[in-house]
Amino acid sequence: MNATAASCPVHEGRDDRKSARLAAENLKPHEGSRVVGTFGAAREILRSPKVRQAGATAEMVDLSKPNEISFFFLDGDLHRRRRAAVAGLFAPKTIVTRHHAVMNRTMDAIVAKLQKQGSAPLDELSWQMAVDVAADIVGLTNSDSNENLANRVKAVLDSSIERKPGLLNNLIFTIKSVFRVGKFWKHDLLPAIEARRIEPKDDVISYMVKENYSKKGMIMECLSYGGAGMMTTREFIVMCAWHMFEKPELRERFLTGSEEDQFAILEEILRLEPVASLLHRRAEEKVEGAQGGEMAEGEVVCVNLREANTDEAITGPCPYELDPDRAKRMKVVGPYLSFGDGPHRCPGAQVALHETRIFLDRMFRLPGIRLMSEPEVIWNPQIQGYELRGAVVACDPA
Amino acid sequence: MVTVTFITADGREQVAEIDEGISLMEGAVGNGIDGIEAECGGNCYCGTCRVYVEPDWQAVVGGQGEFETPVIETTGDENPNVRLSCQIAVTDKLDGLVVRLPENQT
Repeated sequence: MNATAASCPVHEGRDDRKSARLAAENLKPHEGSRVVGTFGAAREILRSPKVRQAGATAEMVDLSKPNEISFFFLDGDLHRRRRAAVAGLFAPKTIVTRHHAVMNRTMDAIVAKLQKQGSAPLDELSWQMAVDVAADIVGLTNSDSNENLANRVKAVLDSSIERKPGLLNNLIFTIKSVFRVGKFWKHDLLPAIEARRIEPKDDVISYMVKENYSKKGMIMECLSYGGAGMMTTREFIVMCAWHMFEKPELRERFLTGSEEDQFAILEEILRLEPVASLLHRRAEEKVEGAQGGEMAEGEVVCVNLREANTDEAITGPCPYELDPDRAKRMKVVGPYLSFGDGPHRCPGAQVALHETRIFLDRMFRLPGIRLMSEPEVIWNPQIQGYELRGAVVACDPA
Repeated sequence: MVTVTFITADGREQVAEIDEGISLMEGAVGNGIDGIEAECGGNCYCGTCRVYVEPDWQAVVGGQGEFETPVIETTGDENPNVRLSCQIAVTDKLDGLVVRLPENQT
């Protein structure tokens, strides 16, 4: 906390953040990187066309075969072309006209389950929502079950993230990966591809089939879209629920407010509790900056989203206070940098906000809804982000 | 500073003084113009910062970019004058520009 924030003139340094302490203790910028924490410089760097993805995983990707790697690691025109091709799946209009139906259907099932059981782990309910929505957008809809699909995706991502340098570790990584990816291919992706060869749909897999992606390219793309959509939204929903269970006036405002106001609340929570905390970028050439975003050629910076999101230059006073009116007052896009910025800004940002809004709106209207136990905040060193486990919600029977 | 007039769908005029070098969207948001949402923060992904460029200004502003068109198509907006304001760089040539805003940005 900087000196000005600590002496917040309005609410005496009020700090509503739940994940900040654990993040401060555990955040590990990539070795040799320079940390950038001011909003202006961070945004300048992330928006620069002269920077490339960096960090441990990005450094190991073979960019000489763009058709075999995810859009996530690409840059320039090829990256924009791939994103533009499926942009419609994430457009606000598509979210309302198509994805809302999936979200509401999933929520019907979640409510029925919760009312029948009486209580349930909150992160399991949020996981169900995140998986159903991501699977529909990607086109992973021919698996034996969405629960098994999600577990297989998570297993692949875990083995990739756990990768360590060294010959023996490489061998272990390869064996694990081949086995886990093989299961994902056989049970999830291949059935989806075969179904779309017969009858194309409007989803990522249909696009890849049409464009003749290689098997490896399809696997990488699906894991990027699916993994990101599933794993981060799961945590975000629980975090928002926790804040609202704890603050009755905030919950009341959420339930009586317009959709716009509901989004303002969610975005402000996300500003304080970004699921991903660090983004790394390498300068391909010298980067000029008007707000501190200068980079030397070859330099790697670590953009600290938590610091940038609480930079008083852009938040105004009391940067750690949960204030849903802040973004509008400061004329800033609501989530600040929590979804990243620039060409690699999260394509599913609006999807995540909508599914979170629908989930919480339905859940908080259930008769007798209550938080039986608070979640434990756990640090995931692989993704440098928090996980919330152990929260249990209960409601009256139907 | 460049003066730009934004006219809402119901005919209300909003005038903004915008710095050169930023996007029209950023200038609109910074001036509190109603009707520009810019959900993706100006990265040409969401289509919620649409403006309709008045015919007199189209040659100066220019047409849609390669990556702009598919995003506009996903919004279903078929107005022939539509552009994404995040993709319009503000220069001194735009001083006096007039753009109209859609009824809504979804």
